[in-house]
Amino acid sequence: MGGLKDSMRDAIKQLAFRTSVDRLKKQGVTQVNVLGLDRIAALIEAAVHRSLKSRLVGADREVVADATKAEFLRLLRSNEDLLREKSEVERMRERAEEELDALRRDLAQQQSALKLKLERLDPAAAGRWHGEDGAIAGKVAAIVQALANGGPTSADDVQRRLTELVMDVVSDERRDAEAARQALIDRDVAAMQRRIEKLTGSLSLTEHKLQQLSAQHSLDSGISSIYREVQGLAPGDERAETKKGMMAAILEANLRLQKRGTA
Amino acid sequence: MMSENKDKDAKTHGVLYIGMDLGTSRTSVSASNGVRETVCSVVGYPKDVVSQKLLKKDVLFGKEALEKRLSLRMYKPLEKGVLKYTGEAKDQEAKANLKAAQDLIGEAIRLAKPRADELVYCVIGAPAEASVKNREAIVEAAKAHVDAVMLCSEPFSVAYGMEMLEDVLVVDIGAGTTDLCRMHGTMPEEADQIMFDVAGDAVDAVLAKRIEQSCPGAQFTIQMVKDLKERWSFVGDAPEKCLVELPVDGKPTQFDLTDQIRAACSILIDPICKGITKLIATFDPEFQARLKNRVLLAGGGSMIRGLDTAIEKAMKERLGGGKVLRIEEPIYGGANGALKIAHDMPADYWEQLR
Repeated sequence: MGGLKDSMRDAIKQLAFRTSVDRLKKQGVTQVNVLGLDRIAALIEAAVHRSLKSRLVGADREVVADATKAEFLRLLRSNEDLLREKSEVERMRERAEEELDALRRDLAQQQSALKLKLERLDPAAAGRWHGEDGAIAGKVAAIVQALANGGPTSADDVQRRLTELVMDVVSDERRDAEAARQALIDRDVAAMQRRIEKLTGSLSLTEHKLQQLSAQHSLDSGISSIYREVQGLAPGDERAETKKGMMAAILEANLRLQKRGTA
Repeated sequence: MMSENKDKDAKTHGVLYIGMDLGTSRTSVSASNGVRETVCSVVGYPKDVVSQKLLKKDVLFGKEALEKRLSLRMYKPLEKGVLKYTGEAKDQEAKANLKAAQDLIGEAIRLAKPRADELVYCVIGAPAEASVKNREAIVEAAKAHVDAVMLCSEPFSVAYGMEMLEDVLVVDIGAGTTDLCRMHGTMPEEADQIMFDVAGDAVDAVLAKRIEQSCPGAQFTIQMVKDLKERWSFVGDAPEKCLVELPVDGKPTQFDLTDQIRAACSILIDPICKGITKLIATFDPEFQARLKNRVLLAGGGSMIRGLDTAIEKAMKERLGGGKVLRIEEPIYGGANGALKIAHDMPADYWEQLR
């Protein structure tokens, strides 16, 4: 009987929820009625016994009481299993949430890294263009300075120097553009090679299937000829001699034709 | 197909003879396994990948190709009795026609349903005046599918098949050409043969022109004209009125084409009679009477109703008389003759060509 009391106490304890005085105060509860676990368990047991006593007699009452106790303990155990499963699910959910958080953190890091990279790239490009602009301006200034220092200069000379400068700049740009175009072509070629490789694979697969189909077709054996061996002119043919001559002429013409073809 | 089967030891089952009539309009085969098949001499290749996937075939032949011609590149590899391909086949069109001819010959042989374990010997009736290059191309195409192949003159094979080897004049009216051949117990020589291109296709062209002139608004294709001719053709007295329906602005409209069909078919009579006259007039005088009483009409054109009577009538005017016979099977006459030649060819002759 003591085992049942303990189990009942434990069950009540598990089914109860824990709270603190402060939390109750926050909820507006200032006074509580306290009932001990042993007392609750004793009350339940007494209620069960009283109910059984009023409905059953003698040995039956003891059997039913034992069965009820056993059932109650089974229910408790099942409740424990449910709680265990519940806690397992909660643990998995927590783990998933942690993983999700980690992923979110990673994504945020990646995004910020990308943003940083883009921010760094832009000034670099701008700086490069700025530098190149400066170089061109410097070259123009040098020409103008040289012209100014050299005294009066003909228009042809100015045109020549400026053309040289422009051609210098343009040829650099052309080289860069050509390199970029070449890179693009290389990339296209590589893509096409990959595509060709893939197609070649498909082709060999198709060829294989075709061979299989051909093999199946060869199962259609055709229709047998009525002749088992080469015939030739019938011995009793009235025009055998005439026909022999004709056959020989046909053969001769065909031999000539086919020899010419192979030659 | 046969290249891997050329091993003599593998050919133990028997010998299949195939006779083939390679014609401009249709190609017919007769074989010693009882197969007799004919296919229109048209070849179609899918125009693009989409049509290829839809048709599920790389090449289509005959009626099937004609039915699906809108999604096919169509080739009629023979023209006026010979392969369109000539000489070195340098240009794309010539190469394509050569390939179409080769595929057509392959298909005709497949139609004969040869067994892989049988020797296959084939005789092909080719136009009497086909060029050497043309003959070579036909032989090469056939060699890929058979163990040995021979060519012979088309009208000769008709006469041989009918066992009419002496004093007979064969008039083989095909689609591309009409071939006349004089038989006198030996292989016909050049002087024994005449060929001209007034034949089935020429009749179609004249009929198309006459319909165009006399039936305003009628819509038709040359294939429709060909079908009309095959259904209604006649010369002389009309056996019935040729009432046909042709679309006019999409609406089927009935036309009476009796006169047009008679006129178109009649263009054959004069050149045939001229050819007959020439071959009879240059024959041994002692045998001329016999020859002119043994004129044999063969080929698809011989199915024109009243043609034999019309030729006899013309012969009476020019030659004082004559007798024209029709062969029983115009479509298979050439192929049957070629089959008979293949059968009668001695074994050692075939061996020399393997």
